[in-house]
Amino acid sequence: MSPSIQEVKEKHARRLLAMRGVVSVGIGRDPEGKSVIIVGLDSPYPKTLKKLPKELDGYPVRVETIGPVKAY
Amino acid sequence: MDIDLASIREVLKDNRLKLLARANVVATGIGYKITKKQKTSTLCIVCSVTKKLSASDLSKRDVLPPDINGIPIDVVETGLIRALVDRTKRIRPAPGGVSIGHRDITAGTLGCLVKKNGQTFILSNNHVLANSNEGVAGEYILQPGPYDGGNFPLDGIAKLHEFVPIVFSEVPGECGVARGVASLLSGAAKSVRSKSRFQAISILAEENLVDAAIALPFDEKDVSPEILEIGTIQDLIQGDLGMAIKKSGRTTAVTTGEILQVDVTVDVQYGAGQIARFVDQLMAGEMSAGGDSGSTVLDNNNNLTGLLFAGSDTTTIINRIENVFSALGLSL
Repeated sequence: MSPSIQEVKEKHARRLLAMRGVVSVGIGRDPEGKSVIIVGLDSPYPKTLKKLPKELDGYPVRVETIGPVKAY
Repeated sequence: MDIDLASIREVLKDNRLKLLARANVVATGIGYKITKKQKTSTLCIVCSVTKKLSASDLSKRDVLPPDINGIPIDVVETGLIRALVDRTKRIRPAPGGVSIGHRDITAGTLGCLVKKNGQTFILSNNHVLANSNEGVAGEYILQPGPYDGGNFPLDGIAKLHEFVPIVFSEVPGECGVARGVASLLSGAAKSVRSKSRFQAISILAEENLVDAAIALPFDEKDVSPEILEIGTIQDLIQGDLGMAIKKSGRTTAVTTGEILQVDVTVDVQYGAGQIARFVDQLMAGEMSAGGDSGSTVLDNNNNLTGLLFAGSDTTTIINRIENVFSALGLSL
């Protein structure tokens, strides 16, 4: 049985968050309603954008620039 | 028949008090009559009511006539009309959604009232009520918060009671790889059982689930179980992808949004260079701003689903309420 999107996200989240500019990793939906792993960046660093995978264990990865996340 | 404004004014002036005396009528004015949801060119007297009822449900003297002296009456349902409350002022009893803060911070939002061991407490964030771990039990919580002119000790509303410590990452930002490795090597994993989900969430020692604290009001009469402009909390509900949500906060008042991401792991900045990693968070779009921290997040049926604590230009980050309640041993 293939792993769930939660398991895949769990497996890769810490590695992704160690990349420059990555501030969040979560699970959302694409415009068609399909589950995707969403990586949030505080700024669109070209090197990070190049390094980020298009998919993880069969689940699509979407990248969004969300800006720095601050407690307020 | 053409009716001119001046003559309607005369008629309204003579009948205003009689109209307002009827049950349900909360306002009278002059406007264009609305027929089948379309605005017409006919001027009329508009009576705003809290709830539109059929004549059979009203006593005879409360039924509005179709016209007065030939001037038509339109009945519009507006609900209760309340004065807009300035959320940054002193308000007693203080409802959820108004300014509050530990005496050493700026200002955040009073979330809601919760129960613990039969006592009533104010719920908000650790960084609002406990100054990001710096606070000591018994210290004053002001309403409004210090930034909004809250005076110590005159505006004291509660005493800090308990908070969930925030664990900060030791090296903020500058070496992401080292941080990642440190997280992986750390053996001590905390296990938190979330009552409503019947599922153990395993988190690492340097990860957080909630930014939460409770304060004990000096007098229960100084606080209100209402959430400003939202109403009473019905129950708890587990937040899910696509759920429509709303919040009532100090800075941006009532705003609505949607849960766009779940299972979110996110690095959050606290003041000067401190970063804390949160797991199992909910993410919504832009629906808050600085000072809204501590707002409760509810679904469309007023079920409580989260505690707002952070955000970016385009996002709002929310603790799951089940994690908040289990971390502090709370109930509604």
